[in-house]
Amino acid sequence: MKILLYIVIQLFVIMMVAPLLNGIIKKIKALSQKRKGAPIFQMYFDLYKLCKKSSVVSDVSSWVFKVTPYIVFATAIAAALLVPVSTMIAPEQLPGDIIMFVSILALGRFFMMIAALDTASTFGGMGSSREALISSLTEPSILVSLFTVGLISKSTSLLQIMNVMKDKGVPLVHPVYIMIFFALLTIIIAETSRIPVDDPSTHLELTMVHEAMILEYSGRHLALMEYGAAIKQLTFITLLVNILIPHDQLIALTGISAVMLSLTIYLIKVIGVCIIIAIAEVSTVKLKLFSIPNLAALSFILSVLGFLQYFVLGGRYV
Amino acid sequence: MDNIIESKNMILTKLNSKLSETFSEDIYRSVVDNTNELYLEANPEHILEICTYINTTLGYPLISMFANDEQSLCDKYAVYYVFADREQGILLIIKTLVDPNKMEIRSITKKVHAAALYEREINDLFGIVPVGHPNPKRLVFHSNWPQAEHPLRKDFDVKHKLDFAKEETDFQKVTGEGVYEIPVGPIHAGIIEPGHFRFSVVGEPIINLEAQLYYTHKGIEKMCEGQSIERCLYVAERISGDETFANSLTYCQAIEKIAKVKIPTRAEYTRVVFAELERLTNHLGDLGGLCLDAAYGFATFQFRMMKGWAYWIADELCGMRFLRSVNKLGGVRQDFILGKELKTIEELKKIKSELEDTVKIIKSNSMFIDRVENTGILQTKIATDLNAVGPSGRASGLCFDVRKSFPYEAYKQLEFNIPKHNNGDINCRMNTKIKECFESIYLMIQAIETMPSGKLLEPVKTFEPYQCAFGLTEAPRGENIHWIMTGENNTIFRYKIRTPSFCNWPALCHAVKGNIVPDFPIINKSFNLSYAGNDL
Repeated sequence: MKILLYIVIQLFVIMMVAPLLNGIIKKIKALSQKRKGAPIFQMYFDLYKLCKKSSVVSDVSSWVFKVTPYIVFATAIAAALLVPVSTMIAPEQLPGDIIMFVSILALGRFFMMIAALDTASTFGGMGSSREALISSLTEPSILVSLFTVGLISKSTSLLQIMNVMKDKGVPLVHPVYIMIFFALLTIIIAETSRIPVDDPSTHLELTMVHEAMILEYSGRHLALMEYGAAIKQLTFITLLVNILIPHDQLIALTGISAVMLSLTIYLIKVIGVCIIIAIAEVSTVKLKLFSIPNLAALSFILSVLGFLQYFVLGGRYV
Repeated sequence: MDNIIESKNMILTKLNSKLSETFSEDIYRSVVDNTNELYLEANPEHILEICTYINTTLGYPLISMFANDEQSLCDKYAVYYVFADREQGILLIIKTLVDPNKMEIRSITKKVHAAALYEREINDLFGIVPVGHPNPKRLVFHSNWPQAEHPLRKDFDVKHKLDFAKEETDFQKVTGEGVYEIPVGPIHAGIIEPGHFRFSVVGEPIINLEAQLYYTHKGIEKMCEGQSIERCLYVAERISGDETFANSLTYCQAIEKIAKVKIPTRAEYTRVVFAELERLTNHLGDLGGLCLDAAYGFATFQFRMMKGWAYWIADELCGMRFLRSVNKLGGVRQDFILGKELKTIEELKKIKSELEDTVKIIKSNSMFIDRVENTGILQTKIATDLNAVGPSGRASGLCFDVRKSFPYEAYKQLEFNIPKHNNGDINCRMNTKIKECFESIYLMIQAIETMPSGKLLEPVKTFEPYQCAFGLTEAPRGENIHWIMTGENNTIFRYKIRTPSFCNWPALCHAVKGNIVPDFPIINKSFNLSYAGNDL
């Protein structure tokens, strides 16, 4: 029963909040450029509009092309379910762990890449090969980061990690966590196709990564792809803020008001990370494609340093 | 003024005797026209030797080449090779006659590389075949245009509807393991004009790029033939949207030379102001586009804002942001500057200080500099061979500017520098444009401050038929050349337009080689060539 309640609340929060983040990031960017910008709820309108439209599918494409939007969306949702927005709503035990989290997302990405190849368009293949390059570089860094916090909390379950982190109080003062925090932040930027890795607002097909892969999609299919990407982005941010900046330990209330307070603080944290991402987008420019490995290497080194510090300092001090 | 003509005359006489000595039997006739144009009629059999001598020994670049149907004058077609001595400010034009029954010329491309596209263009428009051309592919017309139709021949009927030819287009094939082709365009994302790019790549690095342009061939040159000179001014203004003033100025210059009209001094200064305003607007737009392609949002909107200010100045001065209908044959339409001097200078100073701040910020952004440095290098040798013009040429170590080498209007009286860089990468092109923006502002302020009062228009009277002259100006993208031969009753007999984009498109294809595919848009934007100005 509790797990059902968890799924309902978790899904509701994730699906409602995910499109908002893009709106907030776009708004901050627009303000930095002396523009008014689109309303922050624009993505909801866009998704609604796309859902009403029919989808154009190329004659030469196979079933992979049609099934991919659903797989991408489903994997994003499944991954989101592994990362509770608040430990208060979570049941005692949650199936799935870090490895499953990473592989579920990899499954979605795999289908996205082969669907882009499926239409045999010029840009799809280009997007796929670049996505493969970037994701293969960032994945080790995600795993090492998450395993480090897993080592500290002696578990690979994300819920378990969150619970342990919560008991430790505010851990972001320790170097291990600072390293992991920035490693994950860099990964979020790369995984969610943001500047400096990819430019989500570009019209130049030749420079695209993520956008090149979904270029052939339209209507409902496109809505699912975009919604899936937004959910994935929120899931990563949730992972970052709930593991490294836990807040549930601060709440003395009980019952429904505690949950509401917890979710509010969660939202504030997420928006805070969005602001950091927006500032990163505004103040950097797109890297050369062949410089992206350097960024991924930076993230990997940070995560490895964090990992090593755990052993150097000894687990009990962390 | 007389001194200049005198000295030009001396140079031309010397040059003439030098050439006549070397090719005594092959040069039939020589005429000096419009003080700095030396026309030599040469033997078509030895055209290759003559052009090679001029290009390599004398070091004069081929700046234009075109054909003309002169059957009504001498029963033959004529092909003109235009060389320029940019230090002395003279033009050397070699004319050869082509027999209408043979329709062949010797290709000079193998020795004078800049001729490659001109010869293909002539082949398409006139059907004069360049024998020995290394790549005689069609240029202006694609595979849907019938092979035997050549619209610039006088007997071609424009009303005649052509059949739709269905031929295959083949691109340069690069073969090898892992080589594949990426076709991009002709329709692109964003609101830009059509052009097809065929990349041959291995992974991301580009081995070869072939651009197929001319999707918007409008037949401007044909359209102008037989029209009155006043009407053609409006056509000239519409050759390329963002170079309206440069093209109308070039056209006016050519007609004024033919009509022997000396335009009033105030009109000369007014033209300088508008020409520089157009340059400033374009360069600001280019810089903004460059930053946009690097996803540098802040800088993009800074430049766009300043471009907007520049448009406002144009709007305030002449009521037209794109500067149409400012020029008139023999001067300018009315006094656009009078009473607006202080306001304009104030606005220009505002742009200047904002530009200074923005440039400081973008130059201190190491990520951005990393992006543009050593990307898209156009080597000096290639730039020289292809006659790359304008800021793109000046970024690759070629130091010439029509405003200095062939001074027109009031540029001789004004003080300005020509920025030059040597590396030829995006960074150099960007820096050249930034410096030119400051120079333009400086020039405009000078021109407005030192402008004498007086008349603005010297009417153009009826002149003798079958005269020709060059208009030569520095458009925002570089050297802009119009050649006009007039017909009876102040009409146009032949109008040849060569915009800077025509020279720089092949240069772009070379600059891209060896770079990676995602860098192509930013390299392309650093050249920012016009499709409309190329696909006449």
